[in-house]
Amino acid sequence: MALASAEALTFSYPGAARPALDAVDLELEPGELVLLLGRSGAGKSTLVRAFAGLVPHFHGGRFAGRVVVSGRDTRRTHPADLAGTVATVFQDPEDQVVMTRVAAEVAFGLENLGTPPERILPRAHAALAAVGAGHLVERRVAELSGGELQRVCLASALALEPDLLLLDEPTSQLDPEAAEAFLDLVARLARERGTAVLLSEQRPAAALERADRVVTLGSFCADGPPEVEEPRAGAELVCRVEEASFAYGERPALTAASLTLRRGEIVALTGPNGSGKTTLAKLAAGLLEPASGRVEREGSAAFLLQDPGRYLVRERADEEVALGAGGDLERARAALAEVGLAGLDARHPRDLSSGERERLALATVLVTEPDLLVLDEPTRGIDPERKAELAALLRARACGRATLVVTHDRTFAAAVADREVSLAAAPAREAALA
Amino acid sequence: MSPGPAALLLAALAAAALLAHSPIAVAVIAAVLLAVTLRGPRERRGLYLAGVLVSCLSLLVVTPLVESIGYHVLWSGPRIPVLGTLDVTVEELRGAAVQALRLGSVMLAFAAYALLLDHDRLVQSAGFARRSVLAVALATRLIPTLERDARGLVEALRGRGLAPAGVRGHARLLSPLLAGSLERGLGLAEAMEARGFGRAGRTSVPRPPWGVLDRLAILGSVALVAAGVLWL
Repeated sequence: MALASAEALTFSYPGAARPALDAVDLELEPGELVLLLGRSGAGKSTLVRAFAGLVPHFHGGRFAGRVVVSGRDTRRTHPADLAGTVATVFQDPEDQVVMTRVAAEVAFGLENLGTPPERILPRAHAALAAVGAGHLVERRVAELSGGELQRVCLASALALEPDLLLLDEPTSQLDPEAAEAFLDLVARLARERGTAVLLSEQRPAAALERADRVVTLGSFCADGPPEVEEPRAGAELVCRVEEASFAYGERPALTAASLTLRRGEIVALTGPNGSGKTTLAKLAAGLLEPASGRVEREGSAAFLLQDPGRYLVRERADEEVALGAGGDLERARAALAEVGLAGLDARHPRDLSSGERERLALATVLVTEPDLLVLDEPTRGIDPERKAELAALLRARACGRATLVVTHDRTFAAAVADREVSLAAAPAREAALA
Repeated sequence: MSPGPAALLLAALAAAALLAHSPIAVAVIAAVLLAVTLRGPRERRGLYLAGVLVSCLSLLVVTPLVESIGYHVLWSGPRIPVLGTLDVTVEELRGAAVQALRLGSVMLAFAAYALLLDHDRLVQSAGFARRSVLAVALATRLIPTLERDARGLVEALRGRGLAPAGVRGHARLLSPLLAGSLERGLGLAEAMEARGFGRAGRTSVPRPPWGVLDRLAILGSVALVAAGVLWL
């Protein structure tokens, strides 16, 4: 008998013109790892929320069909009462943290479930150790990197020892090694504890190897490399970073890193979580000044931050983009069309899905037509088809500028970049892509 | 000291400052709270201290202009419709100073609570009204979160070549900051519900028993409020 099932599930968010889920049928057996794929906006996050009971209880909207988890109909069971049987890790780790310290954060769910007091901390510590975050137990949550925070969120879910684990893009902020270790852990959990796992992913390569089953929502196109132009030799130098170091307060973030960027080339900046990739990128773009070393730059620079929520200042998408184009709405609409948001000009940026917000943020920096374009994790939350389109777009517009792409996504780096700079150890090592 | 008795002691100091009539007593309480707040982390306390200073100075400047008490006029200004003649007397200035010190004491007590107490342990040790204690702890986190969001917005604008300038430029960030906070609040509420918040039968991490210092802090809190009512 299935642990959880969705039968003819159709759901529309309040005020939405079309359903987010349309007659979805899915059964999840104990111990199986099911990979959920689909384009941005295909309803992956909504389906995850339906199995947690948050749809419809938390979001409202029109709900038809049936979702049953461990014999309980989610329409008649409150999400808080499903907690423990179900545990969820959401897309954005920053929006799900309740407490200020890691140990208390992991203990929070256990306390809510009425776990005997003497067992709360041992279970919290064991869960942290299981995700390789045992050393973080005394840290303040605000001090953690995105990747560390994602592990803590997973530990919070694992500590509940759920029958059904729902993971909504849980590796989006992890480097490839950490993401693979994470997926190994999830697969082992499914195998050894009999936990059913529903995993939504935008970087499916590693997850595909471990999944028992793949479910696709809506139409889906496989990732594929775009047309790649030849890198330009001997081109004009746009940015040179020499032996640059930087520290946030007393915590060193980067030591003696070097980087050169020439007009016409795209460089992928890679490395594990906490290696200083974002710091080096910000130094190159002039958002930070080095504590020692030197940064030279020719012309203007634009920087795309990891968090698309930082690009929601105006109340219409075209006005948001036009901010960087001196108010030119025509250029703004062209930039929106270029990133696949044609027709959404008048939409409020906060009404866009997370993937659409990522593309809106990209449009806000592309429209400035900089000499140096720096993109920090631009594929986070973007489906493989859009990644291929983004790579093609960056390649097509590469000739007029230097482009630096900070990424954990090896497939994307290989598809888009002329060469790779790895920040595995200081100083930065430059290497040509194979 | 455990966070519960420490929070009670800070609340008692703020209450005593509000209840006391003697300007010297209020000044002493404010000085004690300032000394406590200065023990907070250097990189975080600046924002709180700046808030206290601006609020107290504003109250000190505005109060004498809108009040009309006392006969020892220090400065006499023009007549303003509705408000009457603007003037500043010694009595108004003294009253404004006491009010500013009271406000400063309450704000410093909150700053000390935000900077120095372990909010997690406070929430976990709350024997009753746990939801309210958690709500206060989450609200406390709003200040550094807003500060971080504001820095992020400014950084994103700089990345687009659009550094906000002047008061008007920064004021335009208020609306997206508010919208972002509401959105973050919704996300947090959803995550809390998914983790069983609000379910009956909640338990808590075992808390260490209260020591002598904790008991003294509770007695001291009661004594401070009583002294504020009766003697100060």
